[in-house]
Amino acid sequence: MTNGTKVAADILENLKLELRRGCLIVAVLAQLRTEQYGYTLRKALADDGLAIDEGTLYPLLRRLETQGLLVSQWREEDKRNKRFYRLSTAGEVILGQLLEEWESINKSLSKILHEASL
Amino acid sequence: MNKTSRNPMELVDRYLQAVRFWVPKTRKQEELVAELGEDLRSQVEDKETELGRPVNEEEVSEILKRCGNPMIVAGRLGPKGYVIGPTLYPIYLFVLKMVLLWILVPVFIFIVGPVNLATSGGNLGEAIGHTMGNLWSGLFIAGGVITLVFAVLERTHAQMGTECKWDPSSLPPLQKQERKTSLVQAVCELVFGWFGVVWLLLLPHYPFLILGPAAGFLKAAPMWHTFYLPIVLVATFGLLRAGMILARPQWTWLPSFSQLMQTALSLILLHFILNAATQTASGAWHPFVVLADSVQNSERLAHIAAIVNASILLSLAAAWLGLSIAAIVQTWEFMKQVRKMATGVAHPASLGAQ
Repeated sequence: MTNGTKVAADILENLKLELRRGCLIVAVLAQLRTEQYGYTLRKALADDGLAIDEGTLYPLLRRLETQGLLVSQWREEDKRNKRFYRLSTAGEVILGQLLEEWESINKSLSKILHEASL
Repeated sequence: MNKTSRNPMELVDRYLQAVRFWVPKTRKQEELVAELGEDLRSQVEDKETELGRPVNEEEVSEILKRCGNPMIVAGRLGPKGYVIGPTLYPIYLFVLKMVLLWILVPVFIFIVGPVNLATSGGNLGEAIGHTMGNLWSGLFIAGGVITLVFAVLERTHAQMGTECKWDPSSLPPLQKQERKTSLVQAVCELVFGWFGVVWLLLLPHYPFLILGPAAGFLKAAPMWHTFYLPIVLVATFGLLRAGMILARPQWTWLPSFSQLMQTALSLILLHFILNAATQTASGAWHPFVVLADSVQNSERLAHIAAIVNASILLSLAAAWLGLSIAAIVQTWEFMKQVRKMATGVAHPASLGAQ
């Protein structure tokens, strides 16, 4: 790979990460409308095409919990302690607003892309 | 060693222990590591379900490798923080540059350096070495203190949640960027100007700095006693000029005006030097260098002195011509700028559509 190609690949990777960052939060909140623990949540997201590594997911869950959007509980399941997460009441409201914002951005972007292709 | 002979799950515990080593020992971080452990054990279980048999150490290794280096994973799990955040960083950088480049370096060049030179008994090499050593220590200490102060500010600032209070009317006026002297040019002028002044100040004590090996048999003529101080003053003016350009970059008129002033002063000085050299009763001209007392009778050296004097006279005449041309060009440039500034005041740029 040439230096220029590598730089372009790095830029693309960074931009993709930025693009994914906000989307991941919405996806995590949406998935946690039903209670899940970390591993099953990660699997569900990966199955839907949004793979997220352990080192990213758990701090994110903790941050969302600190912000009051999630509630969690340690519970024993299959003889192992697992932390289960679900959306809080405040989280449901925020998720609704985020989805509205998402719709609006999506519409705007589609319009811009449509205009650009004309 | 047979990899399958040991309990493969022990590898997960060892991995978690390594991660735990790198994260702060807080409850929050402990819980994050516990969640990571639970995740890894679930992955191992899934793998066993998929294979229909217990996993071996190699297969567990694969899962852990995919998870990442314990130190990197710990970095992701640990608290996110920075010494100086994005809000304060531009101010930090500005203060750092101001203190290190525009305060500390000039202090060492203009104060510490000359003091070291004086205390080293005129030993230039020793003085430069000593000053450079002091400068490095000063730069590191000052940089460290500034960083520490901003790190403390960052913590308190983050807790205060300060509002953005500012008044748009306090913003500085628009600058005409095209007239600004480049930073590199001004810094070079300042540095070389300083070396020039130091060189001039050292000349009376170390004539070899200008005469080279000829300093053994030549010495400056008495006329330089009259002109030495004005030459030093003109050189100092150049140094101050470069400093002012750096300190007041918004004074767009200053570079061209001060350049013209310096050229004019140099021309006047040169005019007097040439006049003094040629005004003698006998019609001959005053020499710029004369033979040292110890070799007064050497004809060969007297001939060399005559050649050196002729060379100096020619050089000064050429310099006078060059400066005269420069003065004309610089006056034209300065007048153009004055006109432009006057026009700018009379007709401020409009943002409205024509």
